[in-house]
Amino acid sequence: MNRPPPVPKLGIGLLYQEQLRPFIERERDCFDFLELIPDVMWADMGYEQSPRFVENQEGIGFIRRVHAEMPVILHSIGFSIGSAHRFDREHIEQIARWYDWLKFPWHSDHLAFMFAEHMDGEINAGVTLPLPYDEESLDLLAPRIAEMRARVPVPFLLENNVYFFKYAGQDFDEPTFLNRLCQMSGSRLLLDLHNLYTNCRNHSTDPYEFLDQLDLRNVLEIHVAGGLEMEGFYFDAHSGISPPEVWQLLEWTLPRCPNLGGVTFEMLGSWFVDVGTEGLRAQLSRMKEAWLRHKPAPQATPTTVVATATTAEAHA
Amino acid sequence: MSQRTFQAMLGRMVVDLEFRRCVREQGDAALDADLTPLERERLLAAAADRGMDATRMVHKDFRLSKLYYMLPLTRFLLGSERLSREVSAFWSRNLPVSHYFIQESIDFCEHLQRRLLSGGLRVKYLREIVAYERAELELKLPRPGNDAPPPPQLVHFRYDPTILFTQLTQRRRPRAVPRLDCALRATLNPDDGQIQWQLHEGHPDAKAKAPSKAAPRTRKAKALRAHR
Repeated sequence: MNRPPPVPKLGIGLLYQEQLRPFIERERDCFDFLELIPDVMWADMGYEQSPRFVENQEGIGFIRRVHAEMPVILHSIGFSIGSAHRFDREHIEQIARWYDWLKFPWHSDHLAFMFAEHMDGEINAGVTLPLPYDEESLDLLAPRIAEMRARVPVPFLLENNVYFFKYAGQDFDEPTFLNRLCQMSGSRLLLDLHNLYTNCRNHSTDPYEFLDQLDLRNVLEIHVAGGLEMEGFYFDAHSGISPPEVWQLLEWTLPRCPNLGGVTFEMLGSWFVDVGTEGLRAQLSRMKEAWLRHKPAPQATPTTVVATATTAEAHA
Repeated sequence: MSQRTFQAMLGRMVVDLEFRRCVREQGDAALDADLTPLERERLLAAAADRGMDATRMVHKDFRLSKLYYMLPLTRFLLGSERLSREVSAFWSRNLPVSHYFIQESIDFCEHLQRRLLSGGLRVKYLREIVAYERAELELKLPRPGNDAPPPPQLVHFRYDPTILFTQLTQRRRPRAVPRLDCALRATLNPDDGQIQWQLHEGHPDAKAKAPSKAAPRTRKAKALRAHR
């Protein structure tokens, strides 16, 4: 396997939201890097339109000021890497342009598709729809990841997705699919522990079994978040602080990811009113304590995952 | 090739409730021919799966949040029941195409303005409020390749906007707002991206026809600024 050099150990990240600007400006000691969904800094005029991306200069000015003090990592949403009807090379070029000025040590996207063909155009489902864990999906993704990696010379991570229904007759289970994807394409993983918790809660499966099977050497970043229950489902709503089960997963996972570069907290800006400055500070502080307690080693070692106990209680 | 068709069918089931109902009721017959047996099985299972309801909830939340965020006064005036009805009618004719909030919100304003004009929708003051919020969005709309500031937007009011906005700012349903024919003029300050509103008493058409008349009294519309 062609393993790139390790990424720097950045520490704790906070996902940018416009409503968090005052917090980001005043509370820089609470986090080590800013994660940014770059798509919020431009208006996408549509695939194959010219010009395609109209950038928000005021927003970019804010990011420049933050970037003068800490790394800014991109976590994109508009690529839709899994869309079978088109491959968005224009998006890759846009990420490459942003790499030129941000020089982020890695960047990421979602393992999903949002855009699908519809009559003469396309629709945006507004939700990351799952790809079947099949050979066919690997064949679709691998060359696309290769192009991204060739154009943007830092590790490219894909995030494990939330899904509310499962496809029948898949070639692989999810961790095996992710392992194979990394092996085939050289991509790395953004392990979203709240997504994992959401899936396991909705489908009554064991997150630790998933983690036991996953090659955690591929995990370069972890996401944590909060969610909510509605209509019999638990949603990855980014609605406040993380639930206890996600903290347990983080404590278990952190020491087992030798190549980890950072742990990022995601929260929608509209929930800041409820969480408050103190609440957000406490969330980030707890993440930092966990990060420092486990002191992730600077270089890869063979995964220490042991496939024995299978319940959350056993691992906690 | 069938991978494309599979994704198209799945995506359509998420955004188009009617199509999903067809798949549930008609089964295989509702699906395109260009699918493998396994893809058919998966689509039929997804159509019947409660998880598809949850997926649609996320989709609706994403789409509705655009309108909530962009049109706060319009949604307040409409109220939740009427908003839900109008959004359903709008969505049935307009599929989601973008991540971005502004164009979809403008399109929804267009839908409401048509409904108001036709008499199909009657909500006092809504004509003014929709036009007001649409004007702000028109000014904020990205204008690729054009560095010049967008042209000003003029909104005609039949009621005193200062009193109307004061009541709305206090989260009250407007009542007994005195009649006042006037226009609000909005411009975008290119330096800070802020929108500035000025209140002009007198009908805009009258002013255009008689510019030599005493200049319309312009005053700072404090309530307008306060609500934003």
